[in-house]
This record gives sequence, C-alpha cells and structure tokens, in this order.
Amino acid sequence: MSKATRPADGSFADVLPELDYWKIGLSLVITFFFAFFLAPIWTGIVTSFKTSGAVTATTPLTPPLGDGFTVEKWARAIDHLSTGFINSLIMTIPSTIATVFLGSTAAYGLTLVDWGKRAQFAVLILFLVGIFIPYQAVLVPLSDFWINIVPLAEVLAPVWELSFMEYAHARLLSLTITHIVYGIPLCMLLFRGYYLTLSDELVEAAKIDGASITTIYRRVVLPLSKPMVGVVFIYQFTAIWNEFLFSLTLIGSSSSPAATVTLVLSGLGTDLSGIDFGLRMAGALFAALPTLIIYAFFAEEFAQGLAAEN
Amino acid sequence: MANLTLSGTTKIFDDGGEDIVAVNDLDLDIEDGEFVVLVGPSGCGKSTTLRMVAGLDTPTSGTISIGDEPIQNKRPQERDIAMVFQSYALYPHMTVRENMSFGLEESTDMDDDEIRETVEDAAETLGITELLDRKPGALSGGQQQRVALGRAIVRNPEVFLLDEPLSNLDAKLRAQMRTELQQLQNDLGVTTVYVTHDQTEAMTMGDRIAILDGGELQQLGTPMQCYHEPANVFVAGFLGEPAMNFFNLERDGDLLVSDAFRYELPSEIATAVDGKTDVTLGVRPESVEITDEVDESEHNLIPATVDVVEPHGDENAVHLRLGDSDQANLTVMVDGMRYLASGQDVGVRFPPDAIHLFDGATGEALHNRELTNVEQVEEIGTAQSA
Repeated sequence: MSKATRPADGSFADVLPELDYWKIGLSLVITFFFAFFLAPIWTGIVTSFKTSGAVTATTPLTPPLGDGFTVEKWARAIDHLSTGFINSLIMTIPSTIATVFLGSTAAYGLTLVDWGKRAQFAVLILFLVGIFIPYQAVLVPLSDFWINIVPLAEVLAPVWELSFMEYAHARLLSLTITHIVYGIPLCMLLFRGYYLTLSDELVEAAKIDGASITTIYRRVVLPLSKPMVGVVFIYQFTAIWNEFLFSLTLIGSSSSPAATVTLVLSGLGTDLSGIDFGLRMAGALFAALPTLIIYAFFAEEFAQGLAAEN
Repeated sequence: MANLTLSGTTKIFDDGGEDIVAVNDLDLDIEDGEFVVLVGPSGCGKSTTLRMVAGLDTPTSGTISIGDEPIQNKRPQERDIAMVFQSYALYPHMTVRENMSFGLEESTDMDDDEIRETVEDAAETLGITELLDRKPGALSGGQQQRVALGRAIVRNPEVFLLDEPLSNLDAKLRAQMRTELQQLQNDLGVTTVYVTHDQTEAMTMGDRIAILDGGELQQLGTPMQCYHEPANVFVAGFLGEPAMNFFNLERDGDLLVSDAFRYELPSEIATAVDGKTDVTLGVRPESVEITDEVDESEHNLIPATVDVVEPHGDENAVHLRLGDSDQANLTVMVDGMRYLASGQDVGVRFPPDAIHLFDGATGEALHNRELTNVEQVEEIGTAQSA
C-alpha cells in the first residue's frame, strides 16, 4: 500500500513552492509586532470617533458603526485644547529654535574655535553635568527662582496692559526660558559629536579666506550642520511639546490662561460622572499632531543626520 | 609681491608636559617670486613651518616677515597669503563659484561685479569655467584640485602656500599637475612655498629646495646643488630615486675597508678624510659601472653577484650583492637594453669622480662628487630657476 502512494507524494511536493521556514517565521514576527504597535493607535483613533454609548457597548478594536459614529468628541477636544495648543506652540517653537541655535553655537565654540584646550574641557564638563541633573531635583529651586529671584510677572508689568496678554503669560515665558536652558547641554553634545567629524582644514581655509569666527559659523559651519539641525529640532520639539513636569510646576493649573496642551490634556474628559474615553482619545490625538507634522517635515534631515552621526 | 623671511623660527608643542620640538631655529630667506619646496619625511616640521607662515600656528620664538614687515603676530587674514590644503578643504555646500568668491567677499571691498569678473578670469586660467556652478562633491579629484588652486589665486596674494597639494591625485595626473603648477607659478610670479614629502616633486618643481629633518634645516639650495653636493648623508639619501648607495667603511690610509670590499681613494680625495677613521662612502646608482668580466687584478674593481633586476623600461634597476654578503646592498641603474641575469657574477666600479664621502659619526659631507667645476652646478642651478 505504502509503495503505491509514494509517487503521488513526490509529485504533490513538486507542485508546492519551496517553503523557506526562515522567511515564514520572519513574516510572522513582523506581522505580530506590526499589530502589537498599531493596536493602541488604532484603538485610540476608533474610540475618538465613538459616542460614549458605543465606547461602552463595543470592544475597543471595533470601528464605530451607524449611530455609534460621531465627530462631536473631536469638536469638543479641539475646542477645549485650542488655547493650550496655542500656548504650547508659543512656548515650544521659540524654545526649540533657541535651543538648537545655542546648542550649536556652544558646540562650535567648544570644538572648532581654538581658545585653550583646558578651558574648553572644563566648560564641556559643566555641560555634561547639566545633562544629568534630574528634573525632580530642580523643581523646588526652579519655582522659587521664578517667583522670588526673577519675578517675570512684575518685571514685565507694562506688558500685561496689552489686551491679548494676561498676567499668567509671564509663567509661559519662564517656562520657555527654562526649557531653553535645560535643552542646551544635550543639544550641545549632539552638535559636538557632529562638529568633531568636520575637517579642521575647512575652518582653517575659511580663516585664511579672511572669515571671522562668527562668519565661519554663519557661512560654513551652520550650513553644513543642516542634517544635525534636523535631528536636534525634531528631538527638542517633541521633548518640549510633550513635557509635563515643568508646566505643572511653573503654571500649576490646567485652567490657567497660560496652560500648555499637556496640562489641559491631563484634566480633559474626567469629571465626577467618570471618564469620557472618546474625548480623551480625541484630545490625545489632537495634541500629538504637531510632533507628527514635525517628523514629516524633517524626516529627510533626520535620516541624514542619523547617518552622519554613525 | 614680496620676499618671505623666517629667522630663528622655532615651534615647540606641549604634549602633556613633554616638549616636542617641531621646528628648531629655522632660517629661510625666500626671494620675491621664488618657488621654494620644503621637503622631508613625515614629522620633519615642514607642515608646521607652512602653518606658521599661514598663521594657523604661532611660532614659539623667532620671526616671520613678508617684505620687511613681521607677521608672526598677525591673524591669517591680515597676512596676505593664500593656502591650498592637502584635502583641498573646499566648502562642500557651496558651488565652485561661491567657493572661489568666498575669500574675496570676506577679505576685500570688491563689489559683486568685480568679484564675478575676477573669479571668471581665474577659472579661465585654470580651465574650470564650465565647473563654476557645480558643487565640489560632483567634481573629480583633479577638478577639485584646480578649484582649490583657483580659490587661492583669485586672492592675488603676496605669498602662495601649498601643503602637499598633489598627494591625493593618481600618478599620471600628478605629473601633469606638476607641470601646470610650475607654469602657473611662473605666469603669476608669486612667491610660493610648497610642502611635499615627495622628492620627485621637490626636484622637479622648486627653484630652490629646503630639506628638513627632525625640525632642522639640512640644506637649502637649487635642486642640482642639493642633488650633487648634498650637505650630509640625510640629504644625499633623501634625494634621488632609487636612493644613493651608502657603505660604512673604516679608513686605513688611502684605503677604505669593509667586510665586503676595499676601496682605494685617489690621494687628492683622501686628503678630505684626513683624521677621520669612520667614513661613509656614497655613490649614486646611475654612477656605478658594471663590467661583465671580473678581472681580479683590476684596481678598485669589486666582485658582485646580481640579485634582482627590475626593468623600468628605459633603464633597469639592478640589485647586487657585494662580496659574500647575503643581502642585496648595492643598487645600480643600467641601460634598459643591457641584459643581466639573476645570479650572474659581475664586477662593479665606483668612479672616483662620482663618489661622495661623509663623516661616519656626524654624517656631514667631507667630499662631494666632482663635476667639471663648481660653476657647472651653479649654472645648472641658475638655469633652472630662470
């Protein structure tokens, strides 16, 4: 009997494409991780379009159907968050630009400008120490600094007379400055790594061509830093936009007119009647939009920068 | 145009508490419009010297002047010099035109039209007009080299500094650029200091060459002077390819003796080594004569065995073993048509008028080869620099 079936087995195997177990395994792993990472985002998106009833009635992964679909949560989220959103933009964009600029000039001064190797090293150490100061350790001194030592609100008193400015906005300014100061060391380190790979002869050639230290930075070093600027910009923008602890410490309340988007988001959709998941999801996705846009904008520079760093 | 003078120029680097003397008490007087090549092995201080002239390094002591004006404390942009770097150091984000305009924009009051004109003139001189709107990354090594030269010549400097500008080119292009550079320098008439480790470049390009070793100037002279009348063993061995043959010998009266052979000095040469016991005999590969017949009785004929023959086409480099030594210790250049087989026994002759003698202890030249007369060397020298 077995003898008779053998030729049939052989021909059946010939028909099948050759199975590569390695490839099959790889595809399975990739599919698993794809689903694993996408599931929460998918859940967030579908939940944000569901009515409160549909959120409780359906499983998180099912899309909203029929009566369960609504854009009302998004409308409310945008309405609630818009002030915080604008506050965050007002704070994040200048602080990111300032950090990137100051970080790169600091790195330039510590690598490509010659003013004493030992002094440069000493300053570099200070920067490195700056990176490792934990946020929690500075919260109390920080708020003390902005309230008692440099009370911006009082210093800038005439500004609050303007119709669109409020007293509380001083706190937004202190937050912006805090982020700049806190961001410089790490940005400096990223730029430093990049500048060390630039050839010394390039700077020397510019010196002989008659360029001053600032001109060399402006016309040679900065244009060549483009890939690294992309990396640092994305990194810094995301970090500052998503930051919560400093906002909470310096602004305090999510109802303040200076509250940042993260601060407002923390209280969104929670009240005595429970948690409005749809609203929270819509708010979270809305608040994440700028970081996604920044990634899309700087993706090319980001990739170049990472390649240059390695 | 101006002459460039270095006097007592010294550069000491501090390497973690340890002093490294890169350039020691260097005196150089480079005349207006002259092409001087600084040559020597790596670490001899030639690049440091150039960087000090450029203002990229500050001398520890001594002065550097252009014309009669000391410049050692001036910043590079105030020195009226232009430099071509080994890596070319072109600004990668700028087009060729922008690269060449940069120096003019930064260090002169020229308006845009003047700059454009100057850049285009220089580009035409160098044959790179069609490259003006490209970026350095899109150019070949030879083209980048020309752009780097262009960037230097648009500045119309008093002194032109070149730091191993040809070392990144392939051999053929290098030979071509050598000639072009010389022509260019001739046309422009700019005082030029050229740094290289390549003795061929030094010999072929310089009006005069300065040979450095260990931060010290070994000899300054026309290529022919340095070649035929080396000041010491180092210069003699550094110039010439293949290098001069050296033998450390002991003097016994008019006789020079080693394990491998004996060489009797003519009495008029022997006076030069009076009072010395250790003597280094030097003889250039092209000066040695090879005889197929080994006539034991012939005066000063040294028996030798052919080890390896390297054909160069027009001539052959023959490596020989003298006496019963087990390694090739003599290189001789013979005509390319002359057939010598490996293992063949031959005789070699060191013509007395072609030998150099150096002090065995200090390496200083005691006697140099005879050309018909001293004027001949001078003549060769001046003919070259004219």
